[in-house]
Formats: sequence, structure tokens, C-alpha cells
Amino acid sequence: MRRITLTSLALALGVVLALAPLVLAQQPPPAWKQGQSPELADSPLAPVPLPPTPTPAKDIPVDKIKLPPGFTISVWADGLHNARQMAWGTRGTLFVGTRVAGSVYAVVDRGDRREVKVIAKGLAQPSGVAFKDGALYVAEIPRLLKYENIEASLDNPPAPKVVYEFPKDAHHNWRFLLWGPDGKLYFNMGAPCNICMPPDTHANISRVNPDGTGFEYYARGVRNSTGADFHPVTKELYFVSHGRDWMGDEIPNDTLHHAPRPGFHFGYPYCHQGDIVDPDFGRGRSCSEFAPPLLKLGPHVAPIGFRFYTGSLFPPQYRNVAFSAQKGSWNRTVKIGYRVMTVELKPGQPPKYEVFADGFHQGDKVLGRPTHIEWMPDGSMLLSDDYHGAIYHITYRR
Amino acid sequence: MVIVAAMVAATVALPALAADLEAGRRKSEPCARCHGDGGNATVPGTPSLAGQPAWFTHWALVKFRDGRRKDPMMSPVAANLSDADMADLAAYYATLPPRPRPQTLDAAKAAAGQRLAVSHHCTSCHRPDLGGQHQVPRLAGQDLDYLLRLLRAYRAGTAGDLEGLMTLAAQPLSDADIENLAHYIAGLTPAP
Ligand code: HEC
Ligand code: HEC
Repeated sequence: MRRITLTSLALALGVVLALAPLVLAQQPPPAWKQGQSPELADSPLAPVPLPPTPTPAKDIPVDKIKLPPGFTISVWADGLHNARQMAWGTRGTLFVGTRVAGSVYAVVDRGDRREVKVIAKGLAQPSGVAFKDGALYVAEIPRLLKYENIEASLDNPPAPKVVYEFPKDAHHNWRFLLWGPDGKLYFNMGAPCNICMPPDTHANISRVNPDGTGFEYYARGVRNSTGADFHPVTKELYFVSHGRDWMGDEIPNDTLHHAPRPGFHFGYPYCHQGDIVDPDFGRGRSCSEFAPPLLKLGPHVAPIGFRFYTGSLFPPQYRNVAFSAQKGSWNRTVKIGYRVMTVELKPGQPPKYEVFADGFHQGDKVLGRPTHIEWMPDGSMLLSDDYHGAIYHITYRR
Repeated sequence: MVIVAAMVAATVALPALAADLEAGRRKSEPCARCHGDGGNATVPGTPSLAGQPAWFTHWALVKFRDGRRKDPMMSPVAANLSDADMADLAAYYATLPPRPRPQTLDAAKAAAGQRLAVSHHCTSCHRPDLGGQHQVPRLAGQDLDYLLRLLRAYRAGTAGDLEGLMTLAAQPLSDADIENLAHYIAGLTPAP
């Protein structure tokens, strides 16, 4: 090694480069850029970066959100940096997971205001939360954690028990948690890439018993599902999934799927949106081999929370209708999504897909990212926003 | 740099951090002992902060405070910072011009590193001039020892990475790749 000046380094670089033609194996691109076609190589599109701090309620442009007549929206709680999935405790505490903030929050409703407590921090994308028998379950990337008797110790939370260990790959493995009618805990294990042949352990929805035993794959060929619910009447599983990137602005669609029983394969990485064979991985395969989606949700809309409505506050036509919160696109030159849609499922009829809450972007400007949905005891809606770190309250008055 | 900033502004609207630059300057006084005057450190192993994107600095401080990132010198400092302190400090350091650090570099390693930076797509996240953007740090002109330490930590999965993207990027790097990349990056003149 020798001491050199910056200019001599630049000169030396020039010489070496001139003498040595580039013979170097190209590495796989970063996860989010991978699968990009050569024509899109210079595309400036990249995932929406998330702010390092939540936005105070007064600066959140909630007045820009449009809703059907009779519905209103307000900021219910702020200061919940990067808020994602929500779950109620039995004593009225709302638990809130996050991704990049690494924290889990407990929100206590004090009537005129909401008190926000941090009950865990420094976790690896603890996006999924679920509650049962006094215990809070938290899914971070590598582990399923259980905080027992949590509502009695919000100010001094117990050390969690590790109930289950997930594969450690981070990409597309921020999880939702959902209790099944069978008493098991359902979660997603996404593809660790944009488009690839996923290892057997990934690109699925799976379930375990509450004590972490009895792991089973439930649905396969699922690229990246971040929201699911069981139908209130049939008790069958419906879930949303994100389609692959870098096939252009219009394809493929993100999708809604129906998995009435375990064992279906939903197509990834061979077939997208039920009718597009993947240009690389689909060679020699046909979409007819796989379970088709129930509904195309739009290209790149990024559906997150998905919940059926069982309350009685909203008008009767919303009974058993599903709400799909869509955080919005990044891999598209014109933004799409940034809204909440409704999906009405009637036997023997195509699903009815309509806008419910719209306006979380203005052109290229992100005004918020609706992520997960939870219901208030009175039947009104809580909607989390992982961009502003807030929870909105959407209610209805005749 | 200006072009990059304009392009970024057009693709995502960043919420204005309610940051106070003068407060940031005041709060940065105790940091100068290690991070140097104007955020340009001279102690080997200690990173320069000048010219880092505000979101990167802010996120780094959040991670030191919540324990995802650990360092015997930095962790106690971050433990005492409020959200407002972090916003002020991050905004202040983003305004300071980064200066090249006097360091001993190996030209042959740097030449190999330049090719690696392209073939490993470092430039696609850190920008073509390795000047960083949003939560992605500026690398150009950073301290050699620090770059070596961080690249090894990302490869080992112990860097407290926010989303896991940098950890993924570091997985294929050999010891020699890390040496070569660090010598290249450290020798770049940081764009003002
Ligand atoms: C006692 C010395 C010391 C003091 C004082 C100190 N730092 Fe640091 N800081 C360090 C060291 C050493 C590191 C590198 C840690 C590592 O290797 O991860 C660091 C890392 C950082 C980083 C991460 C930079 C990067 O590129 O990843 C930030 C941001 C930072 N410090 C900000 C501050 C601020 C703001 C202050 C004052 C409030 C401060 N530091 C005070 C020693 C110090
Ligand atoms: C997918 C995007 C992506 C790619 C590709 C990428 N980086 Fe990074 N890099 C990041 C992000 C984001 C961070 C900050 C991560 C965190 O939160 O810890 C980072 C952090 C770093 C740091 C730490 C710097 C500091 O001041 O703390 C170094 C060094 C680094 N990258 C070097 C590289 C090199 C060398 C390559 C190519 C081999 C590369 N990166 C490729 C996104 C990327």
C-alpha cells in the first residue's frame, strides 16, 4: 500500500481501466430491481422511501380524502411511526405493528385523546399482530413472539416467548397474522425476491397452532400476500397478493384469491393474474395448471389490509362486504392505488369492485398510504397509514 | 447532484421535517469531538456526517436509540436524543459540504472496486455518484476503516439494516471484494 493523492488515484484508475477490459460476472441486481427488463434499466422508479419520523396530526392532509356520502374521516391517533397491522386486546387496548420503525405500540383510548405506549422496539419489521387469551402475538421477520398477560403490564411489558422461528430472509417477509376458524394462526411467507424460483419454504400462506406446533403450508404459489380474512358466513379464506414488478405499467394485476381448502397453488412464479405466463419462469407451463384469482385489483395498486365488514353501523349494503386498503404503486410511471376499495361477493355473480376512500395521492405526491383495517366496537373503521404513522377513524352518520 | 435532487423531488413528495437548522448546529457541538468540524471527521473508523441525506442520518440515530444498531461510543449518545433533536441534527448535517478525507489508498484495489460497484449495482441504490438519497447513505469519500467495518457487518447480518436490502447486497461479497470496494469508494471526491 502507498500513500497517493486523489488525482493520482484517478489517473491510476484510468490507466488500469484502459488496460483491463471489463470481464466481470454481472451480479444479481438489488431485490427490488431484479426482473427489470433491459428497456426499463434506466427507470427512475424505486420503492417509496419511508420517513424517519411520524407526521403530527395537524400536518396530515386528511381533508383531501374522498368518501361516499354520510362517511367522515379524521385522525384517531398519531405518533405511531410506520403503523401497520392492528389488533384489539380484550380490555380495549389497540395493538399496532410496524415495519421499518421496528416498534410495537399499544394505544389506550382516553375518550378525548389516545395515549400511545411503546411496548417493544428494535424488532425486525414486526408488522403482524394478533391477540388471544390475554396474549399479544407479534410476527417479526425471523420470529413469532408471544407477550402473555400483556394488558396488565403495558408500562412494563414482559419479555416475550419465542413461539415459532420463521425463515430469516427479509424481503417480502413482513407478515400479517390472522386467527382461523380452526383456532390456528395464519401468516404469509413471501417470495424473497421480485421474480425467482422460490425455495419450498417461501411464496405461501401457512398456519401454526398458538403454541407454535403443527406448522402446515396452506396455500402455495403466493408471491406476497399482506392481507387476508375468513368470510364471515362461509368461514373460507380470502387473501390479496402483490403481482411481480417490471413488466410495465399495466401488467400484471395485483389479485384477490379464494382458498376454500388447503393445497391450492396460485401460480407464482409461473403464472401471474391467472392469465399471463411469466416470460422466464413460465416457459413450458400454462396458467390452467393453477387456481385463478377471483378478482384483478389493478396493476401495482399494492393491496395490504383486507377485512370483511360484519358491523351494523355502516348502511346495510356493506354487510359482509370486504374492504381492501391499497397503499399504492411505486413500480408504475403514473401512480395508482392509494385508496380503499370494497369487494362485494355474491354466489354465482362476479365480484363487485368499487372505490370507498380515495385521494391518498395527488399526481406524484404521496398524501398517505392506507395499510391495515380494524373495526371499532361500534362498527366504524380504523385505517392505519404507514407513511404518516397515524390511524384514521372512518365513521358513518345517516 | 442538482439533477438527482430534482428528479427525486418529482417522484416522491417528502413530508417537510419540521427541522430547525440553527438548533441543529447548536446540538451538533458535542458531536464535533468525534465527527469533526463541519461534520467532516478525521479520526479513522469514525464516519463523516457532512452531506448525508437527512433521512439517512435520522434513521441511523433512531436505530442507535432503539438498539437495532449498537456501538460503544454512539449508543449512549443516541439514547439521550429526542425525535426533534434527531430531525434538527439530520437536517443540519445534510446542509454541510462533505470534504475528501486524507487517507492511504491502494490504486489497484480501487480500480477493481470501481468495476465491482457497477457489477454489484451499488450505484443503483446509492446513486451513480455514490452520493446517496433518502435513507440510502452517501458513500463517496467516506472513511476507509469505517467502510470496511460496515461492509463486513452487513455481510454478517449484524448492521441493524432497516429493510434488509443492504444486507442482501453484501451477501455475495468476498473479503477481497470488500477491500476493493472500500478503497474505490473512499477515494471518490464527494459531490458538494
Ligand atoms: C465519542 C465519539 C462520538 C460522539 C461524541 C458522537 N459520535 Fe456518532 N459515531 C461515532 C462512531 C465511532 C460511529 C460509528 C459507529 C459504527 O461503527 O457503527 C458513529 C456513527 C454515527 C452515525 C452513523 C453514520 C453512518 O454513516 O452510518 C451518526 C448518524 C452519528 N454517529 C451521529 C452523531 C451525532 C448526531 C452525534 C452528536 C449528537 C454523535 N454522533 C456523537 C462516534 C461518536
Ligand atoms: C438495494 C439497495 C442497495 C444496494 C444495491 C446497495 N446498497 Fe448499500 N445501503 C443501502 C441502504 C438502504 C443502506 C442503509 C441501510 C441501513 O438502514 O442500515 C446502505 C448502507 C451502506 C453502507 C453503510 C454506510 C454508512 O455510512 O453507514 C455501505 C458502506 C454500503 N451501503 C455500501 C454498498 C456497496 C459497496 C454496495 C454494492 C456492493 C451497496 N452498498 C449496494 C442500499 C443499498
